[in-house]
Amino acid sequence: MIITQKRELSRLLENVENYRSFFLIGCSECATLCGTGGEEQVKELTGVLRGKGKEVTGGIVARTGCQVLGTKKELKEHKEALDKTECILVMSCGAGTQSAVEIFEDKAVYPTNDSLFLGNMTRFQMFDERCSLCGECILDRTGGICPVTNCPKGILNGPCGGMQDGKCEVSPDINCAWVRIYERMKKIDRLDEMRETVLDAKSWSKGQKPAALSTREKKEKK
Amino acid sequence: MSFRETLESGKFTVTAEVGPPKGTAIADMIHHMELLKGKIDAVNVTDNQSAVMRICSLSVCKIAMEQGLEPILQMTCRDRNRIGLQSDLLGASVLGIKNVLCMTGDHVSAGDHKDARPVYDLESVQLLKTVDSLNNGRDLGGNEMKGATAFFQGAVVTPEANPLEPQLMKFEKKIRSGARFFQTQAIYDIEKFRGFMEFARKFPVKILAGLVVLKSAGMANFLNNYVPGIKVPREFIDELKEAGKENALDTGLSITARHIKQLKDEGVCDGVHIMAIGMEDKVPVILERAGLL
Ligand code: SF4
Ligand code: SF4
Repeated sequence: MIITQKRELSRLLENVENYRSFFLIGCSECATLCGTGGEEQVKELTGVLRGKGKEVTGGIVARTGCQVLGTKKELKEHKEALDKTECILVMSCGAGTQSAVEIFEDKAVYPTNDSLFLGNMTRFQMFDERCSLCGECILDRTGGICPVTNCPKGILNGPCGGMQDGKCEVSPDINCAWVRIYERMKKIDRLDEMRETVLDAKSWSKGQKPAALSTREKKEKK
Repeated sequence: MSFRETLESGKFTVTAEVGPPKGTAIADMIHHMELLKGKIDAVNVTDNQSAVMRICSLSVCKIAMEQGLEPILQMTCRDRNRIGLQSDLLGASVLGIKNVLCMTGDHVSAGDHKDARPVYDLESVQLLKTVDSLNNGRDLGGNEMKGATAFFQGAVVTPEANPLEPQLMKFEKKIRSGARFFQTQAIYDIEKFRGFMEFARKFPVKILAGLVVLKSAGMANFLNNYVPGIKVPREFIDELKEAGKENALDTGLSITARHIKQLKDEGVCDGVHIMAIGMEDKVPVILERAGLL
């Protein structure tokens, strides 16, 4: 899921100081799990804004904020409130914010969160990054642990000289990705493969921005 | 004899390190080069060592040549993508630089520009392959070039890494990717190093043992606690302590000299790489005590 973090309130208030009326859009998926854009947070921000003398015309927790058409549909029944609104605050990720920009061509739209990474939830509201969407997955060669993401240098062929007792040179809080890969390859009896494999320089063109994908045609043929 | 010829002839080879300064004042550095001239086989020029921004390695290699030293261009993958790296390699080649040491490079978080974007488009193994490809007249994109390079390329290895096996696997990958010589991370325990050499001798590469000069017991403790892959045994820390503050540095120089002599006399490895870190002027003293001058 996409991991988000609330922005400093002072920064948000500064962003919107010239607007009087607001409509809030949360998201029931990632932002709810991150505690940045669920029911509770929408209610909380509504209270804060009203406390600052602002008008809040309404708010929803969109089912999937990055789903442009679906979100647009959900917003239809709030047309009246939205017509009276100057500024939309989006309480999900950068993708959700840009759904709103597409939907509200002539209204100001601001994000209330910073979008951090694609993360795994390890415990309640604890997240870590394991995949950085590089465009050409090499997990098949590395025992299922991603060095592109888990090694701060993205090294593809083994631990650097900075590894110390299994920890990463960048921080003792990081377990060296290559020691993890080594331990895993040992467990699944693939150490010989690890020794033999030299991975060539990655093709970063596969991850070129902005990416786009359509699988429509295939589906329509079915 | 060139560095490569010396190594290949089987003669015990000595290299030392020069760190380019931050800023354009190079008089001290040139003075150190003058002191090293004629006493070592090649000088390593570090590449923004510890991710601290300084004069680029390439320019300082050129200056070293003008001072009569044969340079080893250290190249890290931290600051340049594959286009930048290859372009600098071609540049080095036409300037007459013959040796290159391929490294991944310390992370920017260790340095003085912590907000910099780390590049790592390639890493050490892939950089070695790149050099090999340029030596064969093709760039990394597979394009044919007008004129190939003729580098003698090396890499680094950490014999005291823990766990060791993945490090040794990487050592093998570096050899398969074209590394012809290795300069090791600092070693102090010669007996343990023999174990590593037993493994390394299976491969057709030359090994220069890395030696970092100890200035004090405090520095030794610092290396043990904060520098990955370096283990200074207790006995040397005690020796430095006993020497007292005033004589600690002198004792440190003697320890390094002793190690060089032992490695050479017992034929443990093919040479040494002395990292004096800020005390390049003391290298001649070390070599004298080791009986190499
Ligand atoms: S290799 Fe690429 S796609 Fe696969 S897990 Fe790593 S970042 Fe994600
Ligand atoms: S210590 Fe391991 S995880 Fe950290 S940068 Fe080096 S190889 Fe990558």
